[in-house]
Amino acid sequence: MESVPLTWEEVARVYGRKIYNFAYRLTGNSADAHDLVQEVLLRVRKGLANYQPGSFEGWLWRITRNAFLDEVRKQKRRPTAPIPDEIDRWDAATTESADLEFDRISLGDDIQKALLELPIEFREAVVLCDVVGLSYEEIASAVAVPVGTVRSRIHRGRKQLRELLE
Amino acid sequence: MTHPSESISAYLDGELTAGERGELGQHISTCGRCAADLEDLQRVRAAVRALPVLEMPDDVYGQLREDDRVVPLHRNRGVWVGAAAAVVALVIAVAALVTPPASSVTIDQLSSRFGARVSLDPAFGPAKVIVPDFAELHE
Repeated sequence: MESVPLTWEEVARVYGRKIYNFAYRLTGNSADAHDLVQEVLLRVRKGLANYQPGSFEGWLWRITRNAFLDEVRKQKRRPTAPIPDEIDRWDAATTESADLEFDRISLGDDIQKALLELPIEFREAVVLCDVVGLSYEEIASAVAVPVGTVRSRIHRGRKQLRELLE
Repeated sequence: MTHPSESISAYLDGELTAGERGELGQHISTCGRCAADLEDLQRVRAAVRALPVLEMPDDVYGQLREDDRVVPLHRNRGVWVGAAAAVVALVIAVAALVTPPASSVTIDQLSSRFGARVSLDPAFGPAKVIVPDFAELHE
């Protein structure tokens, strides 16, 4: 049986980095990712008291993506969204000479920028699959849609990424 | 066979059944378009998976740890709220007992007695306030 972390600190220790990477790839900037991780851990701390044994990861990722969607709704009401970190770095990097490190960073930046252009449903499916490493079934549970929908979103998300990166 | 486009990503992710996998593999071996799709999607998938793993900043925990220090108060919130409500109720009860009945005075009376300046909307008629009985105002 899946062992369940008992405190928010254990959840943070075991899953914190994954949650942060999920948050960063979805929001594209460290400030929003930071806030999102805090919000998720706050919800985890509150929710652990009433946690019913089951799929802990399913529960955790449901909380995480719901926190993200709530944040997106808030951002829509607040028009001054922060500029993604990559854009800053991209501008700075274009003045530097090209070397291997630059190629590595700029390639990542291109992908990050393309991710941010995907519709949210596709972005979260691709990030949960390729960044977090969840199975289609786990994604379906976190996002509360059928597995067939997950399959379609991941595929369409990747196809759009391919077009954006061409 | 139509091009099973959507299955290609699932194929790459190992999310097809053995039967579906076999069928798709066979189709791809004879369909240039799907073979090209597979290659493109494989590249995109690998690129996203190769994004660097970022370390979480330590200060993420700051506020949460700060909150933990005041948890005992939160846990006893019900008791504190009850106690505060009881104190407020007691103060109101005592005030009601010791305060003489209210009477009505006009703004002009208050103004002349205390030098207060009061400006109210005349559309609502003569302004009046209710204050505790100041016997001297009626002298």
